[in-house]
Amino acid sequence: MGGWLRLVAARVGFSAFVALAAAFFALPMLWLVFAPFDPTPTLAARPAGPTLANFRDVFQNPLVLTSLRNSVLLALYAMVLVVAAATLAAYALSRVHLPGRDLLLYVLLLFSSVVSGTAAMVPLFLLVFELGLINTYLGVTLVLTGGLLPAAIFILKDFTDTTPTSYEESARVFGASPFQILRDIVVPLVRPGMAVIAVWSIVNVWGNFLIPFILLRDPDLAPASVVTYSFYTEGGQADLRLLSAFSLLYSVPVVVMYLFVQRRYGFRFYGGIKR
Amino acid sequence: MAEVVLRSLVKEFPGGVRAIDRLDLRIEDGEFFALLGPSGCGKTTLLRTIAGLEAPTEGTIEIGGRDVTRVQPGGRDVAMVFQDYALYPHMTVIDNIAYPLKVKRVPKAERHRTAAEAGASLQLEATMERRPGQLSGGQQQRVALARAIAYRPQVFLFDEPLSNLDARLRLEARSFLKRLQHELGTTTVYVTHDQSEALALADRMAVMEAGRVRQLGTPVEVFRRPANLFVAGFIGSTPMNLLEATVEDGGLRVGRSRLPLPAAAGAHLAAGDKVVVGVRPEYATLAAEERPGAIAGQVTLLESLGSAFLVSVEGDGVRAQVTVPEGGQPAVGDRAFLVPDPGRLLVYRADDGELVGAGQPAESAAAQGMRATPP
Repeated sequence: MGGWLRLVAARVGFSAFVALAAAFFALPMLWLVFAPFDPTPTLAARPAGPTLANFRDVFQNPLVLTSLRNSVLLALYAMVLVVAAATLAAYALSRVHLPGRDLLLYVLLLFSSVVSGTAAMVPLFLLVFELGLINTYLGVTLVLTGGLLPAAIFILKDFTDTTPTSYEESARVFGASPFQILRDIVVPLVRPGMAVIAVWSIVNVWGNFLIPFILLRDPDLAPASVVTYSFYTEGGQADLRLLSAFSLLYSVPVVVMYLFVQRRYGFRFYGGIKR
Repeated sequence: MAEVVLRSLVKEFPGGVRAIDRLDLRIEDGEFFALLGPSGCGKTTLLRTIAGLEAPTEGTIEIGGRDVTRVQPGGRDVAMVFQDYALYPHMTVIDNIAYPLKVKRVPKAERHRTAAEAGASLQLEATMERRPGQLSGGQQQRVALARAIAYRPQVFLFDEPLSNLDARLRLEARSFLKRLQHELGTTTVYVTHDQSEALALADRMAVMEAGRVRQLGTPVEVFRRPANLFVAGFIGSTPMNLLEATVEDGGLRVGRSRLPLPAAAGAHLAAGDKVVVGVRPEYATLAAEERPGAIAGQVTLLESLGSAFLVSVEGDGVRAQVTVPEGGQPAVGDRAFLVPDPGRLLVYRADDGELVGAGQPAESAAAQGMRATPP
């Protein structure tokens, strides 16, 4: 009897814990769904309204649309650069046996994750300043790309490692140039990996606040992540009406992209093609 | 159409491993040439060096009279079929076959026509729009062949193309391959570790060990007169009997039995020399009554080979096997006498394992323009 009770208690306790944990993560989402349509939003997630007044007001701010466009541009620039550079680097590192190659990769990955953006910000700022790239997308894109590349190379190298070298060798025997082999054989084979890297870099750039905040001075160039910061009063009080509406606008593109990619390609994190 | 000539070829890998050791070889125009050997003997490295995927450390390679030692793989006009076929999984069958022509910048319509022809000649019409992943192993193998054929190279290089097929399909593919090569008449170098495949397919073959050619010859020569103990042990689906023996006045002492000493070998041997006698199970008969020149013993084991039996005879520490046609097999425990066929008994020196009195086949080999590196 006691054993049975203990079992029920354990089940109830576990379910309650899971429910609490789920609620902890679900509440901010709920807030993001309700607050933008609430005429007087608070920090509580509660259905009210609905009204579109918050959106009308947020679009009064000329920075809103340009910032979203800026975010898209920055994300695309960095994505193209990361995918192109990571594919070439991963292919080379996977196929050419350099002494200390694996060590190099691990050190790169280690430094890029240990030396976080915040700690590297001062030298990065100085570097970009010396290059005269402050307040340019080129500067921001290069810094963002540099931060994403080690992990991107690491992931993509795994994909290239699993594709048999006999594909490339047979193409070589038939006279294909290295560029033809890359275009016709390697890229199609590691395409799932490139899709993963592309989505992952877009999401990373989209959510990055610090780097564009520090390297861009002109408000017209600021991406959405930085503009979010402008919906605060001078006293540091958040204007929840504008902030909630903008937050929803800010998250929609990423969610749409996820759904599209998921639908179109499916996320395949299992490495390259196996036979 | 071209001959392939290798001159004192050496391939040394970093770390000092010598995969090919001063190898001289001449593969004639239009010939089906097999490179046979156990794994790690350097046969695949040799093939890859001919293809240009490996650069030789020393020596030269000529294809069709042109020195291609420093030429990139694509400039050698060879087509290679890999063990895993290396079909591009993201392309359809027809695109796979046409890819080499695309690299050669053949216009799309023409290369698709050529690819369709090559595919049709290998019964692949129905699969042209499929992906390699949707094909059976045998079909994949034929796509790889079609790709090589459509390229119309001077030389085909095959790296164990049948080893991924199941046993029955392998036999079919083997006959098919031989007929195909015969029709095309393209010089073919074929790497395999399967001695029966090499014997069945090749016009000539080289048996390799540790980067060297141990014997060069037609399958019949290699099967009948293996030049040394390595080849003797490697060739033959039932292993050759290799029995330790001592030379004594005009005969060979094997255990308590005495075998006749072949005249060709006798001239090179003196009484008391230690030798190894080689007798193929197929080149011996079994007698129930004692007779001179036989190995005496008891039947200890019967193994069915289908239409024949492999009979093990043991006596006085000597163990030998002989094949007996079905119906003629003795019973286990019977007393039996294994009689080597006259003229088929081979004598090897015990110290270096070389065939004694190998003069004749070597001369005929030289007449055909073969050159084996002396081991």
